[in-house]
Amino acid sequence: MEPIKKTSIIGQRVPKPDGPDKATGRTIYINDMVLPMMLYGKILHAGRPHARIKSIDVSRAEALPGVHVVLTADDIPELRFGVNHDNVPLKGGKVRCVRDEVAAVAAESEEICDQALALIEVDYEDLPGLFDPAEALLEGAPAVHDEKPDNKSLAYQFDHGDLDAAEAESDVILDHVFNVHYVAHCCMGTGCVLADFNPSGKLTIYSQTQYPYNFKMDLAPALGIHPGDIRVIQPPVGGAFGSKLDVYPFEPICALLAKAARRPVKLMFSREEEFVNAPTRQPVRINLRLGAKADGTLTFREADCLLNNGAYTSWGPTTPSVMMRTFTSHYRVPTVKCRFQSAYTNNPYAGSFRGYGNVQATYATAIQMDMLAEKLGMNLLELSLKNAQKSGEVSPQGSRLDDLAFIECLEVAAQKTDFLARTDANAEARQKPGRIKRGIGLASSIHNAGGARIHKSDGCGTILKLDDFARCTVITGASEIGQGFDAVLCQIISEELGIPVADITMKNDDSAIGPWDVGVHASRTTFIAGNSAQRAARAAREQILDAASKRVNATVDNLDLRQGWVVQVHNDEPLIKLDKLLRDMHFQKEPELVMTTDYYEPSSEPEDRHHVGDISAAYSHAVHVAEVEVDTETGEVKVTKVTSVQDVGRVINELGLEAQIEGGIVMGLGYALSEELRIVEGQVTNPSFRDYKVPTAPEIPELDLHFIETDCKTGPMGAKGIAELPTIVIAPAVANAVYNAIGIRFMDPPLTPEKVARALWDQQSDKAAMS
Amino acid sequence: MSINIDIEFTLNGRRVQANVPADMSALALLRDKLGMTGTKLACGEGECGACTILMDGESVNACLMYAVDCQGRDILTIEGLRTEEVLHDIQQAFVDHGAIQCGFCTPGMILQTKYLLDSHSSMTPDDLKRGLESNVCRCTGYKKIFDAISDVATDKA
Amino acid sequence: MTAEQDSNLDINQGPQEYVAPTTLGQAAEAVADGNATILAGGTDLMLQTAVGHINYRTRLVNIRRVAELRGVSKQDDEIRIGAATTITDIRNDELLSRMAPVLVEAANHFAGSQIRNAATIGGNICNASPAGDTLPALLILDAEVELTCSSAGTLAQRRMPLTGFFTGPGQTAMLANELLSAIVFRIPEHRAEATFIKSGPRPALEISIVSAAISAIRDTNALFHVRLAFGAVAPVPLRATATEAFIEGKTLDDDLIEQAVDILMSEINPIDDVRATAWYRRHLAAVYLRRLLVDEY
Repeated sequence: MEPIKKTSIIGQRVPKPDGPDKATGRTIYINDMVLPMMLYGKILHAGRPHARIKSIDVSRAEALPGVHVVLTADDIPELRFGVNHDNVPLKGGKVRCVRDEVAAVAAESEEICDQALALIEVDYEDLPGLFDPAEALLEGAPAVHDEKPDNKSLAYQFDHGDLDAAEAESDVILDHVFNVHYVAHCCMGTGCVLADFNPSGKLTIYSQTQYPYNFKMDLAPALGIHPGDIRVIQPPVGGAFGSKLDVYPFEPICALLAKAARRPVKLMFSREEEFVNAPTRQPVRINLRLGAKADGTLTFREADCLLNNGAYTSWGPTTPSVMMRTFTSHYRVPTVKCRFQSAYTNNPYAGSFRGYGNVQATYATAIQMDMLAEKLGMNLLELSLKNAQKSGEVSPQGSRLDDLAFIECLEVAAQKTDFLARTDANAEARQKPGRIKRGIGLASSIHNAGGARIHKSDGCGTILKLDDFARCTVITGASEIGQGFDAVLCQIISEELGIPVADITMKNDDSAIGPWDVGVHASRTTFIAGNSAQRAARAAREQILDAASKRVNATVDNLDLRQGWVVQVHNDEPLIKLDKLLRDMHFQKEPELVMTTDYYEPSSEPEDRHHVGDISAAYSHAVHVAEVEVDTETGEVKVTKVTSVQDVGRVINELGLEAQIEGGIVMGLGYALSEELRIVEGQVTNPSFRDYKVPTAPEIPELDLHFIETDCKTGPMGAKGIAELPTIVIAPAVANAVYNAIGIRFMDPPLTPEKVARALWDQQSDKAAMS
Repeated sequence: MSINIDIEFTLNGRRVQANVPADMSALALLRDKLGMTGTKLACGEGECGACTILMDGESVNACLMYAVDCQGRDILTIEGLRTEEVLHDIQQAFVDHGAIQCGFCTPGMILQTKYLLDSHSSMTPDDLKRGLESNVCRCTGYKKIFDAISDVATDKA
Repeated sequence: MTAEQDSNLDINQGPQEYVAPTTLGQAAEAVADGNATILAGGTDLMLQTAVGHINYRTRLVNIRRVAELRGVSKQDDEIRIGAATTITDIRNDELLSRMAPVLVEAANHFAGSQIRNAATIGGNICNASPAGDTLPALLILDAEVELTCSSAGTLAQRRMPLTGFFTGPGQTAMLANELLSAIVFRIPEHRAEATFIKSGPRPALEISIVSAAISAIRDTNALFHVRLAFGAVAPVPLRATATEAFIEGKTLDDDLIEQAVDILMSEINPIDDVRATAWYRRHLAAVYLRRLLVDEY
């Protein structure tokens, strides 16, 4: 037999296993699903930001042929859910934002649902609306929720070091206010859910949820049932990006309709409904102070942030827990003080969104570092290197920063883009004539790369089995939302068991079968689910090699699994075909099936009540250099190139890694330049792709990606989590580039043509006035 | 309620008959009446291209086309692109180049690609970007889609 | 169609009749009783009916199969474009690229392929959006609409200048029993240069914040036979006739250009909307005027 040499699939470019199904239209997304006997559900939204409901008359809707159920708050007990227990599925008494769900209908077609909604008569008494969180906190402001008369929602604080002393030793102190804005996830698949009760009252819910196991616990109170009676099935979804990490009213409403109708119900948002009702990114007013010595050493950061909570509390107002990590850990900062207050308003409310508070905080910290460099007469690279952490440091919040490459990322990014020389050249060119101005800008950030311990467990379970044909099924608790974990999982298993990727199936869409995982968020899945899968695979490998060693004359450490064979290591000789071995192990007097399990809990700690704790098993950095051309007449900013240098730990799937970084950068470009959910007096005024501008193909710059492999000791194969940093770092890089081009800072994204043109106009008018 | 009209057309190479309300969209005909869910509903307003199909060889947004106007026409959806056991070149290229993540935009993107390749003997990178200007993708950042299409275009040439 | 008949329409009622004529005569007859909604490309109709901006009249008339309504032709000194000619056909038309490239340029900045392949120039005209992409180009070509109706079985046609055709946002002077059959314009003088630009940063998939078109004969440093039109700065697409008259024949220098800008500002009346403020529209209109005058864009 031909010898079989050792090869590795780690670091290869492996296409996503579900690619062919998706490319042929064969994949049934949740939006495509139809169940037998299914009814359609739709919601009547208040459409007004603040009003008392005087009466609701659903009689004409109920009488419409084809309508099975009409529900209002009166038909169900008050079932509170949500981070602050301030939300209910259907609203009675008062509506607090335009989304408020005042009635829901289940009928035989979507068309009949629409007709039924039009027949529901609601008599409202409009009340004055509160939209500014600062106003909401003033004495005498109307209460959005009666039980919270001061409109205060979540508050956070963090203190480290002596701020007075730090201020005293600072040679410069910068003080700026940044207002970061509402944006929408714009998943291509709109919000959709199907609910189906069996006659014993057990619920099967087909959901886009990103956290199926805890979702049961959060959904149960909204339905008044036991979480153990909920089965969550996760069909393929058209994107998620953090929008499905909480329970939102449309899901319990669908379940309530299904329960009342005694039929499965499917409820799906139109795109307009999606823009109005899906959670947004958390907007924040960030007042940031930064102190430094003349030599550039940072002395302190002080952040005071006001969050627009909106009418109900989802995960948006918890983003301060991550924003804090940025303020304490983006560069070495010896003294930090943070205060965050979220205030209820009659606005739509925010949830989690890729980057989760770090996008907002880094917009401020990375721009402020650029301003500090200018103030001190240093270049940004020098200033950054001076304050960049090295491996082994511990942040003020107790993050143990091991296996870092911050300095290397900075140096590589600057070198590849000729950053210093071009910064100077562009700054000089500002004064010269010419309507197009070029700019180059640099930004960095740090993010958790080994999970994030926000729950009691940050773990993930794996159940692995091999059948008699050496085909492997891996049941993982991890969710696949398009990010490409399926490919990574197959590679890890393939590497450990020596079987081809095509022979490995991932099963992860049914909570009745899968082991627990906390959810797909925080860039954690490759790291944690990958570690878990690797351990389950190694246990299987051990079992197999043990069985093999008993059958051939070799010790376990002289055996390996390669290309479906048990191979002798010292001469690469294939000894037993794996599938034959497995059948032999199975059909014995004392049979052995290869079935292994694992639950991996990363080596991180929860935060204590002072917000100190090493919450992630790894951390990593990315540095972006953005190059722009600004049309100083129209205000249009064109990004010509983005150079990204990111510490990825180890490349497992080079194709998937690039794909996530490219996608994350482009999402961040939208945040920086064109995306804005324009909420005016509580109304979403641009709920369509026509007027909410996501990046399109002609707007994509040249993308130059570089990976630094730090071989993270805690990560699977040395890998770190990667998918949020690209979205976090790009926006301030663009803002810094625009500053380099035209000498104007934009503290409030997005940098739309109108905003830039206006600022240029004001700059010119100021110059004219002064001359 | 709109009047219903009998129509007959060619769908992915086969004759199909249907009875449709006069105001029904081609997208609703495909997805709801014919159960062909490969063509996606993502905005319903012609702003995202997820519902792109080929009608007599030209790409159109099925959400804006009238089902009654399918009469006598030759319609191609994603389900009909592959005519053999193996994937169509465009499909294979999308898979191989990592141009598919969540995949929701993929059917529309692939059909628009077919239209571009069929109607252009060659395309510069800028032509290609313009060609995809009304197919929105939220996951990939488009780069791998460009790579996949360039690969197929090179092979064709 | 009278006001009373309109108010009797059930907002949820779809068309009760459907016809797909294949000749202009059949099409004209199908609209003759004033009870027809015309389906051309459908890219506006599907949207407008879905949100209730337009209610279907009794009869849906699909004119996509009327061959006489499609195509670009030269007749004596005129170019004639059938109303159902698609934007893609215009974008690819060899005759237009030689004779009226500004229209090709406008088509090139229209939405995206999928819309261009279905949308028609007639639909763009009849939709009468102040931001319609083909409209400034047609205005500077001094285009005329040809309206056809069927009267006692015979076809009657009338023409009117496009400048007078738009009566308000989304409104035209076309009667309910008429059909837009063609848009016609004299072949521009070959010495005339014409340009169309529109707001970005996207090249095409944008409802214009401002669009602009100019046609003129450039002789040393002056412009002659100036035609200037702007989109999205007034309730209708605008021929900036006062600005044209001011510029006509004068030597262009910085002072003159700024005076022209002032006159343009007095002719336009932009609004604040979700896409832009009136301030930015004025700013952009001024920027575009300067660029068009000095031929740098």
